[in-house]
Amino acid sequence: MTTLAALGKGYEFPPAAFDLSEEWVDAYVASVEDEAMVALDGGFVPPMAIAALAIRALLEHSSLPPGTLHAGQELAFTAPVRRGETLTVAARIASRGERAGWVLMGVELRVARDGVSVMTGRATLSFPVAEGAAA
Amino acid sequence: MTQQTSLAVGAALPTVTKTITQEKINAYSLAGGDDNPLHTDSAFAAKTQFGGTIAHGMLVLAYVSEMLTAAFGKDWLASGRLKVRFRAPARPGDTLKSSGKVTSVDGGKTVCEVECRNESGEVLVSGEAEVSR
Repeated sequence: MTTLAALGKGYEFPPAAFDLSEEWVDAYVASVEDEAMVALDGGFVPPMAIAALAIRALLEHSSLPPGTLHAGQELAFTAPVRRGETLTVAARIASRGERAGWVLMGVELRVARDGVSVMTGRATLSFPVAEGAAA
Repeated sequence: MTQQTSLAVGAALPTVTKTITQEKINAYSLAGGDDNPLHTDSAFAAKTQFGGTIAHGMLVLAYVSEMLTAAFGKDWLASGRLKVRFRAPARPGDTLKSSGKVTSVDGGKTVCEVECRNESGEVLVSGEAEVSR
């Protein structure tokens, strides 16, 4: 598996699909102890679960360098998502630079349902330059 | 925890308090599919700048999101925007408090400053959230 450190600006991750199964959503909600989502009727999925699954889908194609830090996150949700739905994620490395011995990488995400966007975002990741092979 | 129906400028969002444990971090690693050893391997993490395991940023962010769901309900799911920086790590044993305050209400758009602090008052996450209502 390719490490994220070897990827350069402009790299596009292979599109991926993921299912929001009842079992997985229950496990996620339990792990984050989200009482507000439990209280909210309608079978909705926590928005951060969508972001987490999108990132997970990317990690099936490229591993994080050990010790990678999450430096920042931007997210925009455009429609509620329900349990049982299938979403697709597209992502690209929008930026890559170095500062003080660390690589700063910006990864843009777009999650869609039936081709219509439900979430966009940008994760800023950081890892030691020694872990990175690409300029 | 009840959803607030109207929030004016200066209003505080309902706070969310959680205590981080290694078990919770491990559970999140499984659910989130993030097996970065910085979160789960104490021997690896001990050799890093942090000296021990730390929680996933997205786990801490889930607590901030819970606060916003409590404040804005389905509107947060349908129109929420969030921009944050992770400023310091959350460690096992930390008690985290997520809080926020409405900074503007304009044209159906509510903007809030949000943050998450540990029990020492150190800011771990800070940023801005926006919801259309």
